[in-house]
Amino acid sequence: MKHIIAYIQKDEWSPYVAGILLGLVGILVAVASNVFGDPGIALGASGSFESLFGGLTQWVAPDWVAKDVYFRAVRLPGITWEVVMLLGILIGGALGAISSRTWKLRRMPEKQWAGAFGQSRITRWVLVFLGAIILEYGAGIAGGCTSGLAIWGGLQLAPAAFLFMGGMFASGILTALIVYRRKY
Amino acid sequence: MNLPEIIVALVLGIGFGFALNKAGLTQYHKIVNVFRFTDLAVLKFMMTALIVGMADLFGMNALGLITLPTPPQTYIVGNLLGGLIFGVGMAGVGI
Repeated sequence: MKHIIAYIQKDEWSPYVAGILLGLVGILVAVASNVFGDPGIALGASGSFESLFGGLTQWVAPDWVAKDVYFRAVRLPGITWEVVMLLGILIGGALGAISSRTWKLRRMPEKQWAGAFGQSRITRWVLVFLGAIILEYGAGIAGGCTSGLAIWGGLQLAPAAFLFMGGMFASGILTALIVYRRKY
Repeated sequence: MNLPEIIVALVLGIGFGFALNKAGLTQYHKIVNVFRFTDLAVLKFMMTALIVGMADLFGMNALGLITLPTPPQTYIVGNLLGGLIFGVGMAGVGI
């Protein structure tokens, strides 16, 4: 028991151990979808931004949201399973950092970023903002992100997941090659 | 959504976030370095989760304990194009 507690408090686990935990979470999500029968139940995160946007827009322009094909057929507006799960992810990440006593507010990545992009905090924030837009846009087209499509779809052997992973790694490798050039 | 469903979603989300944090995937260098082939933690983490999830899901389904949930829709060009755009954001800023 002492060893288990000591391992939980470690800053970084073996990725295999953390992967097993995520796999177990994934299977429990599948059990939950059986128990509750809610078609919106998935191990996903990125769809919650669209749902939240739809939920907020409902107050301003309810007719537009009600008529919109995307909010009727693809992502339901409002507080969905994924929105609550995203909140849980934030809490879980914080708990992970607290358990290893590495919790602190960081304005910049601690390693490697400065070597590639410089020390400027504005550069970091602007690039992260733009990068997040690109990422979420891609996730919107593909129908999910690394969790909702690659992992959740992959563990159900959905072809979409493997197409997405192929695309993601192909352009990701190319992007890293451009960013790091000779230091690649 | 009723209250039990909200609680389950929150608890499973916490498990997911905890695993991400402990695998180190909340950090810029971990995400970028998988695309540079210098640290494969992201791949090891994802593939382990996939294997554990797949084996459990299809094993339990074969035993008749669980019905398979609806998988994400496949539309070849969209999935691939979305992935290509997604990768630029992911490898560019490490999120």
